[in-house]
Formats: sequence, C-alpha cells, structure tokens
Amino acid sequence: MSNPKKIVLAEDNSVLSLLLKFRLEKEGYKLLIAVDGKQAIELIEEHDPELILTDIMMPFVSGLEVISHVRNKLNLQTPIIVFSSAGQEEIVLKAFDLGATDFMSKPFSPHELVIRVKRLLI
Amino acid sequence: MNENLHLLESSNDSSPIIVLSWWLSGIFFLIIVLLILYVKRLRNHLRVNAKIEAKYQEEYESCLVTYLYSGNEEEAFSPEQLLIISELKESIVDPFKRKIIISTLLKLRNEISGEMGESIDKLFVKMGLLRYSLAKLRDKKWDVIAIGIRELTQFKIMGVNKLILNNINHPTKEVRKEMQLYLVHLYAFKGLEFLNVLETPLSEWDQIQLLEILQLNNDSQIADIKPWLKSSNDSVVNFTLKLAKLYNQFEAKDELIKLLNHKSEEVRINTISALSHLNILEAKNILKNSFNERSLEEQITFLKMMENVHENSDKPFLLEHMHHENFEIKSLVMEILKSINFEESDLYEVETKKTITA
Repeated sequence: MSNPKKIVLAEDNSVLSLLLKFRLEKEGYKLLIAVDGKQAIELIEEHDPELILTDIMMPFVSGLEVISHVRNKLNLQTPIIVFSSAGQEEIVLKAFDLGATDFMSKPFSPHELVIRVKRLLI
Repeated sequence: MNENLHLLESSNDSSPIIVLSWWLSGIFFLIIVLLILYVKRLRNHLRVNAKIEAKYQEEYESCLVTYLYSGNEEEAFSPEQLLIISELKESIVDPFKRKIIISTLLKLRNEISGEMGESIDKLFVKMGLLRYSLAKLRDKKWDVIAIGIRELTQFKIMGVNKLILNNINHPTKEVRKEMQLYLVHLYAFKGLEFLNVLETPLSEWDQIQLLEILQLNNDSQIADIKPWLKSSNDSVVNFTLKLAKLYNQFEAKDELIKLLNHKSEEVRINTISALSHLNILEAKNILKNSFNERSLEEQITFLKMMENVHENSDKPFLLEHMHHENFEIKSLVMEILKSINFEESDLYEVETKKTITA
C-alpha cells in the first residue's frame, strides 16, 4: 500500500480543524494540523506535504506569510488552498499574487473542499 | 530594649497628625495586602475555570464532529446521533456547560455551510437549546435579548419573526440591530418589511450591514421599495435610496422625483445621486429650473450628475453659472462645457486658469 498523501492544514479554529481532519483522513489523506502560521511553516519544512490548506487570518504568522514563505523562501510549487471570510476579497487577490492555487470563502461546504482537494491531488 | 522604649516614648510624644498618618499607612498596607490576596485568588479561580472550560470544549467539539459524521440519509437522526443528543441534553441543564456547548456549535456553524451546517441547526433545536434562546427574548436585560436574537439568527431559526418583531422599536439600538439582522439574514428582501413600521433611526453602520447581507443572499425577488421612499423616517428613505441605486429600481422613478422636494437636505442630495445613477433625464430639467433655490451641496451633486447626462441644450444653463462664486461649481460647469463643445475648450481652459489664479 502506497504512503498516504500529506496535507498541512493551518487553521486556528480547533473544531473546524477536527472536522476537516476527520473528513480528509476518511478520504485516505494524512492530515498535519497547525494552529497558527508559525507551526504551519515548521510542518511544511519538516514534512514537505503534497497540499497546503491555510486560513488567512491566524495568530503570529498569517496565511499570506505562509504562502510567501512556501513560494519565495522554500521555492516549492505545492498547491495551496486559502480559506477566506466575507470582506477579505482584497486579501484573497494578494494571496493569488503571492502564488495561492485556489480559495474557498467561509462558510464553506466540507464536501466541496474534498472535491477541490481531490482535483488538485490527482 | 532601651532603644525600643525610646521609640515608643517618642511616638507617644509626637503630634496627632503623625500618629494619624501612621494609622492610615497601616490601614492602607492592610488593604493592599488583602487586595493582592483577592486578585491572586481570583486569578487562580479564572485559571481553573479556563482549564475546565477547555476540557469541556474539547469534549463537546469531539462530540459535535462525531455527531456530524454519524448521520445517514434514511433517517433524520441516526441512533448514534440520538445517543449523542441525549448526552448533550443532560449537559445543557447546567448554564456553564450550556454556554460552552452553544459557543462550540457557533464556532463551527460560522465556518461551514451546506448539509453539515443545516445538521448543526437541527442539533440546536433537537437538544432543546431553542427554548433557552426564546427565554432570553423575555429577559429584562437588553444584552441578554440581543444575544438571544443573535443565536436565533446564527442557527437560522425561522418562524419566530413575530416574536422578534416585538423589539422593532426597542430603546436599545443593539437589540434593534440584532432584530434587523435576524429578519434580513433569514428572509432577505421580505425581511425588510420592518421598514414599514420603523420609527427609530437606522444608523449608517446598520445600513451597510443590511446591504451586505442582502448582497450575500442573492435573492432575486426584490421587494417593492416605493412605500419606504414615502416613509416619515428619513433614515429609512436614505437606506431605500441606496437600495434603489444598488438594485437599479427604475420602477420607483416617480417616487424618486417627488423626493427632490423632501424636507431633509440629506435625502434630497441622496435622491439626486440615485437619479444620476439611474440616468433619469426627467430629473435634470426639474433640477435645472430649481437650481438657484437649492443648497450648495445639492447644486454640486446635480452638476456631478450632469457630467454624465449633459446635452448641447444645457449650454445656456451652464454659461449662466460659469462665473458662480463657488469654485467647485465653477470648475464642474467648465468641465461640462468643455466636454459639450470641444472646439471652445481652449476658452474654458483660460477661464479655469483665471479662476485658479484669482
């Protein structure tokens, strides 16, 4: 059996992280959870995941800084899906400028997220 | 020993003010010590409470996630879900645990949509939390009422709008705001019917929030805005003018033109702006004829409107106001003249320069 694909999830909402972890692990992925951007960067550097899911607003290091670090410092082309809230449209554009692959506006459907994850990890 | 005796004697001999200050110092010192002990105890109590809260929160988060993944398509609630609900029902009797459960549900409800979101709403009702939210609406404290309405909004509890509408003219603006958000969140344009009876002012911030919710709702059934344009509440009229602009309400043309003679200057200015946005040319002649009777702000807004809807026939009117005493008006007039008659633009350019250097 091949190794499960690794996904780093950077999200400060513990219950949402738990829900997504449950759902994506059921689909056969390995989830690495970070509660802030700083932890997310550490996990990305350590595990080199196949996909990154990140919220924009997080304590210490924001989602934008995570994208910038991955694209400019680590020079990785790992797909990144950004979670944004209503009213963060301009930040989403910045995220795309920095190299985000896709975005989902909160509140989002976990089923839709799974479809997007599967599409990116074919 | 002798030294101590000497100190005691000297203190007895000292003046009453010094004795009093010694006493006061002692009392203050005691108060400070007691306060430090109280703060320390309070801090420990809060820490213990935070630990207990975190423990329960973790437990309820895991319960909630398990509940969401235990559903099946055949039944409204699967046996596993019913088991979780009965466990949670026991906890909600305790106000401390109830508060944690509600905050856990909201923490997830605000982030997810679709079937899972709806499943959380069902859980809220099935657990009996709706009863507690409705009880909050009858509370004497305004903040409790506001929280109750907000819970009903966040869990999308429909059918209690009549109960909530009782607070339409509540003396506290926070309660009124929550009531308005509930109605518009859940009923979109239909929810705006509260504008028919609103007597209190609708603040600018309230208006922005309502417009944002309406836009997120994507409701294609836009309400008839005409009655609100006739409201005696100026803030309702101003809000409706924003709706007219945002949703291109040409149908309300006649009511909009009537508002050009409204008693409030703010309403008149917003009306000119809405008419300009909708390109209603009929309004141009009315405003041209009453230009001199209007306030400076109205005149400027009208000329800004004319920038987009000018014609050759407007030239005499514009020439009449080319030497207006207000710089902004003069400059707008010349700009419009320049775009009407490009050949004569050099002449207006010279006039503009003269105005600036004057």
